[in-house]
Amino acid sequence: MFFLTFLRRELLRRMHRAVFVALGLSVGVGLVVTVTAASTGVSNAQTKVLHALYGIGTDVTVTKAASSKRDGTLFSFSPGKVPVRHNYMIPPPGLGVIDGAAVARVAKVHGVIAAAGAMSLLDTDITVPSQSQLSASGKPPAGSLGNHFTVNGVDLAHLKLGPYASGTIGSGRSLAASDARSDVAVADAGYANAHGLKVGSTMSIAGHDFRVVGVTRQPRGGGSADFYIPLTRAQAYASSPETKAVSDKIDTIYVAVTNTAAIPAVRTEINRLLPGTTVTSSSSLADDVTGSLTSATSLATDLGRWLAIVALITAFAAASLLTAANVARRTREFGTLRTLGWRTRRIIGQILGESVVTGLAGAVAGIALGFLGAALVGWLAPELTATVAQNPGSPPSENITLNSSGMRRSISPYSTHTINVHLDAQVTLAAIGLAVGLALIGGIIAGLYGGWRISRLRPAEALRRVE
Amino acid sequence: MYTLSGVGKTFRKGDATVAALQDVDLTIEDGDWLTIQGRTGHGKSTLLNILAGLDRPTTGTVELDGRDLATMRERELTEVRATSIGFVFQSFNLIPTLSAAENVEAALVPLGVPTAERRTRAAEALASVGLGGRVQHLPSEMSGGQQQRVGIARALVKRPRVLLADEPSGNLDEDTRDEIIQLLSTLREERNLTLVLVTHDTTLAYRAPRVAVMRNGRLMMRRDSRTDKAVSDS
Repeated sequence: MFFLTFLRRELLRRMHRAVFVALGLSVGVGLVVTVTAASTGVSNAQTKVLHALYGIGTDVTVTKAASSKRDGTLFSFSPGKVPVRHNYMIPPPGLGVIDGAAVARVAKVHGVIAAAGAMSLLDTDITVPSQSQLSASGKPPAGSLGNHFTVNGVDLAHLKLGPYASGTIGSGRSLAASDARSDVAVADAGYANAHGLKVGSTMSIAGHDFRVVGVTRQPRGGGSADFYIPLTRAQAYASSPETKAVSDKIDTIYVAVTNTAAIPAVRTEINRLLPGTTVTSSSSLADDVTGSLTSATSLATDLGRWLAIVALITAFAAASLLTAANVARRTREFGTLRTLGWRTRRIIGQILGESVVTGLAGAVAGIALGFLGAALVGWLAPELTATVAQNPGSPPSENITLNSSGMRRSISPYSTHTINVHLDAQVTLAAIGLAVGLALIGGIIAGLYGGWRISRLRPAEALRRVE
Repeated sequence: MYTLSGVGKTFRKGDATVAALQDVDLTIEDGDWLTIQGRTGHGKSTLLNILAGLDRPTTGTVELDGRDLATMRERELTEVRATSIGFVFQSFNLIPTLSAAENVEAALVPLGVPTAERRTRAAEALASVGLGGRVQHLPSEMSGGQQQRVGIARALVKRPRVLLADEPSGNLDEDTRDEIIQLLSTLREERNLTLVLVTHDTTLAYRAPRVAVMRNGRLMMRRDSRTDKAVSDS
């Protein structure tokens, strides 16, 4: 085809011009790819933070506020003649309990794929001192308040829902549906390392010997527990002298919905079904994230978007003007073709073909520049921080103290924690597709502009032009 | 056959109107060779452009075989140029990025000639102007005379009935000029072409059986071998 021969000759023998136009386009496209990559990176970082908090796969969390503020004496004791050791596993004070049957009701809500119940517990090991061990001021001896750690009862039917799903099993195995009646636990890697636990170790939880079957590593900032055990076991063993039995109780329901659009309706329906509960979605949680991650998000979405648009318009204008300049230089050539009987449409097609190929070259160069820009962003960007509220399913942190009359605790109701996230700008396939599309559009606009200028010239006028 | 009647062409130049052609009446029979002389700016090229259908007159009619180019639609004019009119330029007007053969082929593209036939005809056309061994050369690799031969091959490859040449030897040395004019003369005779040639050169002009002069946009016949005397058509 003569079209292709002419195209090839023009591009190869006037390569410097084509390269110049392609580079102009590539700068704009590269900037768009970089900004998109940075934006994706920020979005991924935010998702990572939310997943850490929320659990992969979870769209909605249902919790209930504690019925009363439970600061103060947890339970009291009277020191006797000899020290007495107690091991209790009790529900934390910050969350209210929900009837386990609510999970099945939530699971039936339209738009819900799955619902899983969970129970957070605090295991406390104390030794009530003897009267003779108390100091003159009535203070118990050091070491009376023994080890305490957090335990999460996991719904074995929905292991891919909730905070447990965010963890990665480093050694051993995960919990399984067949563990419902077994005293088995998966330990958090941080706790296991600090206390010398490994797969096969035995750990006393609520006074029962649990075998550690796996060690999991939770993402940073996750509201992870120290141990994950089957929910039924947690419910069976949770008790204390002053708390009621929590059999068939839970404190959090993790919900997966069919799609993001269904979340508002699901929230409304759950609120109706379970009055008094707090229904949180990942988007509402995202609104509570503060810190430089939020600033980066604003930067990527606001400034980045405008910067990309301005760069793109500039690149398109530059490509159009450069193409128009090239066309102007070739005016006499096109006049000659008109003299030979070429239709304007064919000439415009030829210019358009050259512009499209140049645009594609610009896309390739732009994508390369985009990868380079994304790497630079990842390399130069400082570590972002995200200050977030606790996972809605995690109990607020508390301080436990022991005095002569009993055990006291105080709750920090507004506890937050700060997570450091590295910005990893990612060039996605969608961004590459966008780059190719934009460069092609740029090429077509430039070609059409050049063609339009040619179409307005009469052949005799074109022939009079001096190159 | 061309029949021009009352042809005028005006251009706007700022606020003024310039008459490039005034009341030109002219008949060119099939197979005629007409040379048009005249000083720069007196309307020679304008008349040639109108004959080629590259420009339209402001007044009058320009009939080619009974069809008025002045009122023809642009698409039809393009078709006439593609099929019936060959044009040779003073500065050759070759596409610099295409080889000699591809430049010649470019004239067959609007006719939809298949690739293989296009290549054969281009090679034959180049051979007919003595450039059989230069088909793959770029214009920049050829002398002025050779480039003009490519231009002539390009004009003739579509087998037109009319050949219009605008100062075809204007950029050539004397020897090459003679070669090119001899070539045009030979080809015209071989193919019974109607040749309209614009030139400054009086020596060249008088090799044609008919010679006209353009002065201030008006055409005056200087010589017509058919009557063997100077006559004026306008």
